[in-house]
Amino acid sequence: MIVKYLLAALVAGLFSGVLMTAAQEARVIPLILHAEEFEGEEAEPAATGTEAPKATHEHSSLRSVPSLMDIAVYFSPISVAHAHEGEHEDGGIMFGMSRFSGTLLANLVTGAGFALLLAGVSLLTGNPITIANGAIWGAAGWLAVHLLPAIGLPPELPGFPAAELGDRQVWWVATVVLSGAGLYLLILKNGIAAKIAGIVLIAAPQVYGAPQPSDLSSNVPAVLGAEFAVAALATTLFFWIVLGLSLGFANEKIAKAV
Amino acid sequence: MAVSNVSSVSLSLSDRLVAGLVALLLGGFLVFGAGLANSSVLHDTAHDTRHSYGFPCH
Repeated sequence: MIVKYLLAALVAGLFSGVLMTAAQEARVIPLILHAEEFEGEEAEPAATGTEAPKATHEHSSLRSVPSLMDIAVYFSPISVAHAHEGEHEDGGIMFGMSRFSGTLLANLVTGAGFALLLAGVSLLTGNPITIANGAIWGAAGWLAVHLLPAIGLPPELPGFPAAELGDRQVWWVATVVLSGAGLYLLILKNGIAAKIAGIVLIAAPQVYGAPQPSDLSSNVPAVLGAEFAVAALATTLFFWIVLGLSLGFANEKIAKAV
Repeated sequence: MAVSNVSSVSLSLSDRLVAGLVALLLGGFLVFGAGLANSSVLHDTAHDTRHSYGFPCH
């Protein structure tokens, strides 16, 4: 029984992850690749090979795998550049996959993860996700995980100035958890006290403030950053609406099958 | 009418809580691995996903 509900979440998450990959390829990835041209000092000829927007999911990038690995090597010393991790771990994309395959895999994992989190909240609070309310659940998830944290930490392009990674991750996770709890109190609990507590929880991390970089200068054009922030928020909203609806659908299928 | 309480019809309270906790732990683990884990291999594989989802990155 328990496993069936987890499977429903997995199915919905994987499905949403695939659709999210298509949305990213259309709207977000081209901006990331564009920004990477400004990230380093020297121009990056390898990036142009993958810059053409992919119309389909099939990636005929076998010939460009070496150049993709070059990109991966180029990016691997993330922790060296920011000097918050001593070890010079070798990076590179898992299993020698292409960049697109890595992104698809990460989207599948992330989709399944967010689906399980959403299903977990639904199960623990005893508020079933159905087809009728799935889009609302998805929108609430988007608010908690993307829009509210983005107030303090807007989606960043490669090459953007940013504060210490660990500080930002702590603030991000705390904001997601507090926003989620706040939205739960605000939407699903009755009574004026719960509503006020919900608003306080949502506002608290914003009042505290996200860690900000001391130096705002960047080689990446501001217009790209603005386009990227909107594209990232729009595609994640799409992802969460699909996720909520498909989770509601999967839940109702299971309830009928039992 | 089962539509309004899908999960409570077919799951007992304790099963529901166990399922919810398992889902939260598993989901948190997956999101952490894809989005936040401080590993170069995981970072490089999930790089574009991390940026697209607005995870703190780099």
